Amino acid sequence: MNWLRELARRLRMLMHRRQFDADLEEEMLLHLEMRQHEHLQSGMEADDARSAARRRFGNVTALKEISHMAWGWEWFEHLAQDVRYSLRMLRKNPGFTAVCVLTLALGIGVNTAIFSVVYAVVLKPLPYPDSQHLYTIFQQRTQDASVQAGFSYLDLQDVIAQDTAFSGMTGVSAHELTLTGHGDPFIVRVADVTPELFSVFEQQPLVGRVFRHEDGKPGAAHVVILNESVWRSVFSADPNIIGASINLDKRAFTVVGVMPSRFSFPLLSGTREVWVPVGQDPLFESWMNLRARHWLLTTGRLKPGVSLAEAQAELDVIGQRLAKQFPAENAGWEIHLFPLQRLIVGDVRSPLLVLLGAVALVLVIACANLANLLLTRATSRTREIAVRTALGAGRGRIVRQLLSETAVLGVLGGAAGILLAYWGVNALGSLVPKSVPQLNPIRVDHVVLLFALAISALAIFLFGLAPAFLAAKSDPQASLREGGTRSGESAGGRRARAIFAGAEIALAMVLLVAAGLLIRSFSKLTAVSPGFDTAHIVKANVSLPRDLYKTPQQWLAFTDDLLARVQAEPGMQDSALVVPTPLADTGARVPFEIVDQPPATAAESRTGDYVAATPNYLRVMGIPLIAGRFFTADDVMSAPRVTVISAAMARVYFPNQNPIGKRISFSFPPDPGVSREIVGIVADVRDSALGEDPKPMMYVPFAQAPFWGSDLVVNSTLSTASVAAAIRKDAMAIDKDLPVGDIAKMTDVLATNVAQPKFRTELLVLFAAMALVLAATGIFGVISYSVSRRTREIGIRIALGASRNTISHMVLRETLLLALAGLAVGVPCTFAASRLLGHMLFGVSANDPITLIAVAFTLIAVAVIAGFVPLRRAMRVDPMVALRYE
Amino acid sequence: MPRDEIPPGTLYLLILKTLARFGEMHGYEIANSIQRISDDVLQVEEGSLYPALQRMLIKGWVTAKWSTTAGNRRARYYQLTTVGRKQLLVEMSQFERVIGAITRVIRAV
Repeated sequence: MNWLRELARRLRMLMHRRQFDADLEEEMLLHLEMRQHEHLQSGMEADDARSAARRRFGNVTALKEISHMAWGWEWFEHLAQDVRYSLRMLRKNPGFTAVCVLTLALGIGVNTAIFSVVYAVVLKPLPYPDSQHLYTIFQQRTQDASVQAGFSYLDLQDVIAQDTAFSGMTGVSAHELTLTGHGDPFIVRVADVTPELFSVFEQQPLVGRVFRHEDGKPGAAHVVILNESVWRSVFSADPNIIGASINLDKRAFTVVGVMPSRFSFPLLSGTREVWVPVGQDPLFESWMNLRARHWLLTTGRLKPGVSLAEAQAELDVIGQRLAKQFPAENAGWEIHLFPLQRLIVGDVRSPLLVLLGAVALVLVIACANLANLLLTRATSRTREIAVRTALGAGRGRIVRQLLSETAVLGVLGGAAGILLAYWGVNALGSLVPKSVPQLNPIRVDHVVLLFALAISALAIFLFGLAPAFLAAKSDPQASLREGGTRSGESAGGRRARAIFAGAEIALAMVLLVAAGLLIRSFSKLTAVSPGFDTAHIVKANVSLPRDLYKTPQQWLAFTDDLLARVQAEPGMQDSALVVPTPLADTGARVPFEIVDQPPATAAESRTGDYVAATPNYLRVMGIPLIAGRFFTADDVMSAPRVTVISAAMARVYFPNQNPIGKRISFSFPPDPGVSREIVGIVADVRDSALGEDPKPMMYVPFAQAPFWGSDLVVNSTLSTASVAAAIRKDAMAIDKDLPVGDIAKMTDVLATNVAQPKFRTELLVLFAAMALVLAATGIFGVISYSVSRRTREIGIRIALGASRNTISHMVLRETLLLALAGLAVGVPCTFAASRLLGHMLFGVSANDPITLIAVAFTLIAVAVIAGFVPLRRAMRVDPMVALRYE
Repeated sequence: MPRDEIPPGTLYLLILKTLARFGEMHGYEIANSIQRISDDVLQVEEGSLYPALQRMLIKGWVTAKWSTTAGNRRARYYQLTTVGRKQLLVEMSQFERVIGAITRVIRAV
């Protein structure tokens, strides 16, 4: 405790420094006067008495200083003095200060903003308690690790019963149901879950309770949990909601709880608005006993202390047991697990890290630029420093002074950068595509702030140390002897500046090439035809409540009616029904068999993407027919079953054959194992992603495979809004309780599909542009300084008869040398860096020569432009003025 | 009359002892009193009293407060604290140990 009191005393002294010095002075003065008085009394002359008192006292100034320093604050006082001096210097050079602060603010701002995204999405743990113990558990084909699937309900129950490594497991699936009885009917996004979801994720309800184990049992009363947002918007935050009844697809559910809106389950797209036990959903009810259907996304919480390997070993055993016990459903499947967070951030992790790397390069370039600026300044201050050294300032003291100047700049730039980051994070937040998982909000929190402070400190260190070091090393005698205001720069300084500028060019090249590759890749991606028309096509989802529309006949009757009404609307060119819609919906990849061929082994089953469509579909979407025919109005339930396959399917599964007339069979949806005759081949469509090759597809007539929910695709020149209004009106005319959802232009569907590559391309282009501007400033600085330093030399050359051309060649050569040196270093760096982009590129090689050459020429052009102003100044040098100058 | 310098390190001891004997004193009084008691043999290099007093203030051995002298002048008076009293004992025993050792050395043949 003593040291604390001592610190308090020292701090008190620091606060009252002035008073302290005054007290000390008064005390010493009193002492001197009293001694002097004593001498006078003993008969001395006044002058003698005074000098005797002084002699006896010692050096008053030195003693005052020693007393002052005894309190140990001199470092602080020096610092305060340095900072004050630095601020004065920076105020005197507002242009220089503004450029430095702005450069640094940009560098730190973009780094902080991007880091906030990376942190929230990739680094920060998922927002569940002890989320590091959460794993996704899935089944995987032994022969083909790329085939992964969820569990059937029965398999999941078996795994839970046998497993000991997990404290809990839960399976979920998603669905949309129609909520009626509260204003307009509308579609709610439903999470169908096993009751353990909430205990596995350790979540508490806002109101009421979460599901209990009993809620999952067959025959249990129907219960539902609402999301806070639905509770607030639809039920006006009704405090008596618990126990109330709501209708989902006309089936009554009792509300038992409300979950806070911050809880969202990561594996299901979008936020879920209600939760129901999986067996109570009208659709999934019938799936509960189907062991062959792998549909539940499963998450487990590993018990503390259980290792991943132990859990996997146990799952291996359970998987083998299941395969032996139920070979028809589980032979050829293994069980695996994977950290939930890595699964969620999987796709976006590396693009985000690449962006972070890109902004780090921007910061390094900004630092190189600042170092150059400071070097220039340090050089012009050589004389001042020499004078101060000559007057006795220690080398350390001078370095400290220069460092404190950069530190003040750094603090100002860092503060401005953090402000910029706050703004940038808001801007970024709205730019980040919906498909980037945002379980953690993207914002500037304490970790991000800490990061900003750390990189600010690093930046100060990077750009501040070199100039201070070089300045302190300079020889004061030489500087003083050179005398004039044009005192020269040491060779070390010149070399350092050239190196910095060259490095800027090299780093800018890396960023420009990366941006160029992404631009080219993105333009190729968007130039890819999805295989169908997107202009003038609007899609809308219609989902029939199964409680009211029970049979396929009812579904068909409804859709026929709807199609007829929509078709009759003015302005509708054509309309069709399709499910699932390519690119908009998750595809349905189903296994099939070729009749009269041996069945595919479990290892390499034949799969095709299933689509049910009405006869007009090809015409609406503009998909070309290659051979045979598409569906007609005659392909109904009572007619022979037919199918149309895609060109890719013909190529892959019927090589060198005519598939038309052959028969295939697959068990999706209603008629298991019915064989269908192939009657036509249509062109390929990219149905899962624009960047993926077309998959084998098989189409069936909607009339032979009706479905309760489907998309209406309409080709119309009318506006989306009027098409939507017409569809709504027609649907309501048939059933007033029927909502129409997910209305979108196909062009927007396409845009959503490429939102992520667009996002990263735009950002990288922005960063590359920043890098280019910074590098150009760097070149400008170096060349213009070099010209001003050589004004006299140029003057002499001109006086001796050198032509303006010679002079301009001289400057140009210096510029080009700098640029070429930068490029020479940049090329290998670029090759190394662009390899990181590899899997983000589409249709462009990471070493794309066109991009490389274009970037090299851009950089040379920018260098020449940056060097143009100083070049003109060099050409205009008046020899008389230049010679008189010094 | 020749005056001897105070052996280094003993200045604290002298100040502490003086304050212990006479209670509150200002700097000039401390200097004078050390000189008087040592019969003018020991002379404080007067100014060095003040840095020493500052260090003692930091350590908390003494406290200081402003007051007026008999001659109605403002002066800073120093006073021993409890910590200071303990320190005096420490310094004294240390001094005696050193002096004892030196004495033994110079008395030895």
